[in-house]
Amino acid sequence: MKNRLFFLLLAVTAGLLAWGTYQALYVAPAEATMGDAQRIFYYHVPAATAASLLFWVNFVASIWYLWKRSPVADAIAVAGAEVGVVFFSVVLISGPIWARYAWGTFWVWDARLTTSLILWLLYVSYLILRKSSELGSTSVLAASLAVFAAMDMPIVYMSNRWFRTNHPQPMIGTPNLNHDMQTVLLWNMLAFCMFAILIAWFRFELERTSQTINQLHIRKAAQGVSMAMLVPIPALLSAKPAMLLLAKKAAFFGMSAMFFAHKKLTMFLLQTSGADDLAHEKLVQHHYMVAGYVAVWTIYIGYLLLLMNKLRKLHQEEREMRAS
Amino acid sequence: MSLGVARLTSVNLRKDLRLEWRSRDVFNSMLFFALLVVVVFSYVFDASAEEARRMMGGLIWIAFLFSTIMALNQSWARELRNGVLDAYRVSPAPPEALFLGKCLGNFLFVLLLECLMAPLFVIFYNLRALGNVWLLLPIFLLGTWALVVNGTFFAVMSIRTRSRELMLPLLLLPISIPAVLMMVTATSAVLTGEGSPVPQIKFLAGYCVIFTTVSFLLFDTVLNAE
Repeated sequence: MKNRLFFLLLAVTAGLLAWGTYQALYVAPAEATMGDAQRIFYYHVPAATAASLLFWVNFVASIWYLWKRSPVADAIAVAGAEVGVVFFSVVLISGPIWARYAWGTFWVWDARLTTSLILWLLYVSYLILRKSSELGSTSVLAASLAVFAAMDMPIVYMSNRWFRTNHPQPMIGTPNLNHDMQTVLLWNMLAFCMFAILIAWFRFELERTSQTINQLHIRKAAQGVSMAMLVPIPALLSAKPAMLLLAKKAAFFGMSAMFFAHKKLTMFLLQTSGADDLAHEKLVQHHYMVAGYVAVWTIYIGYLLLLMNKLRKLHQEEREMRAS
Repeated sequence: MSLGVARLTSVNLRKDLRLEWRSRDVFNSMLFFALLVVVVFSYVFDASAEEARRMMGGLIWIAFLFSTIMALNQSWARELRNGVLDAYRVSPAPPEALFLGKCLGNFLFVLLLECLMAPLFVIFYNLRALGNVWLLLPIFLLGTWALVVNGTFFAVMSIRTRSRELMLPLLLLPISIPAVLMMVTATSAVLTGEGSPVPQIKFLAGYCVIFTTVSFLLFDTVLNAE
């Protein structure tokens, strides 16, 4: 049942991502001054939304953990923070690529950018704390830090309004955003949020599996080898096919994204072989769009490969436990 | 009960002060470290008085931030020897008293450090404030409290990890960056006389209230994390 829901979600997300990508590249009108470089917007903003969503999930799960001490809550918190950091990395990398075109510089220390960077650093420190603390106390310490990090979140959101800033103001529902652009943005938002939830779900299952293995280690140490053999590991068995499919899908999307981008780039090259000034401008806009695209998907695919590696290690550990 | 907390806090505070008074190892190393930062920075930025005034807000707070981190690590490491912290955990004494005592102790050390360092900054960098000097008082009180209350909390968290002292700056700095930003801009505003530091002081006050509350709520949990 759980597996079927996962695959259903996978299919829907795949469809939505493809649709969103198509819309962002072909349907959305080119922006008046920034042209195609502005299309990074359709990856930048949805990734930020997805990351904020996941950080909220992390906060709620951490409070839940502090209250009930449930390992499920802890696994949700890990998944939220880690996948959130991945999506926020996408924001922090696609943003400067766009800014290089729009502002002429990769980075300015304005309030919004600074506080976003702080937010990212906070959750990276959360992940470092998880890595370096003792097994027994990790969850409690991490949950406490998560509460601190969440206290920082309102500062990030308010900073846009408190201080003068270069960063564009939120635009959804305002007349500043063209209707077609808004539709495309909302599609992409839906697609990337689903994508984020899907990866987080997978990360959650991985964490649950590694919790089970840790429990097995403890039990084995306490009761000897024979008892540990009897405990089934159902999560691992379901995780394997899902992971393979996810990886395949990611590879497919990475490639199709690059294919789209490449096709568009070639089209422009063909159209503008006359090489007047305007054409040169367009070509440069395109470089930014393609660079943003490649960077974003490199991060997503890289993270999925990391998860795959983690899964392989868990399998190996499971085999060793059964063999010993 | 509240009387008990107040009494225990003062016991903890007096114990810390007495220990420090007898050994003086933490305070001396803090003071010497801050002095070194001042000297090293004067080589790194060969600044005239006018330029120095612009950078001084940042420089002062970097010197204090790093010396505070040194002191904070030591303040809990001391409790690990002879199992004092474990003894405290099994005792019925409220953990808030221990936390408040530690915070106040560290707060006093850092304030004393700031008082001793201030003349040095004035002498070495030829410093003279162009704005309202009295506004430096709330800035330094609130800024120091913001650093110390979070620092004491994260120091107890970091001694519970494998890498101990190494973890404190990694946890404390990201949380403190908004506060550090406000202290530095407020101090620079007073020194250069450009703009008012009052919004930053309000922000710092809000920051102190929020993070003091959160630290007190979570200290018990972190102290007893198993």
